[in-house]
Amino acid sequence: MEKELVTYIAKALVDEPDGVEVNLIEGEKSTILELKVSSSDVGKVIGKHGRIAKAVRTILSAAATKSGKRVVLEILD
Amino acid sequence: MIKEFEGKTEKEAIDKAVEALGLDRDEFDVEIVESQKSGFLFKKGRVIIRVHVGDDMGDDMESDGGGRAPENDFEHALVDFVENVIDKMGFPGKVTVAFREEKKLGLRIDSDHSGILIGRKGKNLDAVQLIANVVAGRLTNEDVRVILDAENYRTRREENLIRLARKTGEQVRRSKGSKLLEPMNPFERRLIHTTLNDLEDVDTKSEGEGLYKQVRVYYRGVDR
Repeated sequence: MEKELVTYIAKALVDEPDGVEVNLIEGEKSTILELKVSSSDVGKVIGKHGRIAKAVRTILSAAATKSGKRVVLEILD
Repeated sequence: MIKEFEGKTEKEAIDKAVEALGLDRDEFDVEIVESQKSGFLFKKGRVIIRVHVGDDMGDDMESDGGGRAPENDFEHALVDFVENVIDKMGFPGKVTVAFREEKKLGLRIDSDHSGILIGRKGKNLDAVQLIANVVAGRLTNEDVRVILDAENYRTRREENLIRLARKTGEQVRRSKGSKLLEPMNPFERRLIHTTLNDLEDVDTKSEGEGLYKQVRVYYRGVDR
């Protein structure tokens, strides 16, 4: 579910939606989401001073309150 | 759950509520029911607050029939985007147009989960709003700011901040000292500055770095 959320938001932010890839690494207490986008789009998902990345992380942790699991978003470049 | 508490000051009443309910200040909503300003000579004030806990938040707000439906492609796309985001967050709701102004588009969320969608101090609402603004910028070349609201949170927060500004202004005027407010975003800080602008003997300035700075309210006397 969180994977779908990140994928959806990321696709809306980038120029190349086809380049968006999200990998889910399920841990015991936390879930890691690895977000991969085209190299030209990395700035678009991070934003100035990381503002967009921070907002996406906030949205994710709000969504994660349901499952009670911690969700970590990693942006790969 | 709704409960009332009384104290000499707003702070005292809130502290009582925190203690009685065993909650953090962030976890409930406070409404001032009655506030008698402390008298000039004998400093006795009385403040009664009503505390809203959990899902009762905003229960007594007048329920209007919701916002208007989106009209053009841009509004449709944006409303769909926000609806999809909150749906995928697991907190589905209905998004409508609250107002249209020049360079501003107000969207409102009606959801059973508005509490979590707003978040502590509006954190979650701000995050979704930020993303919605970036997406809006990609959808149109026009300069439009998107304002997202749920349960009239922004209006209520605005009223609370104005009240806080006035109260703090009075405090530093009496103490002739200064007071540092909690970290706020630029919009919230501006509201504090402008509210206290018309007080001649009180000044405000922002302190700190980054997006969330703190406003210091201080007494400067009347230079005349």
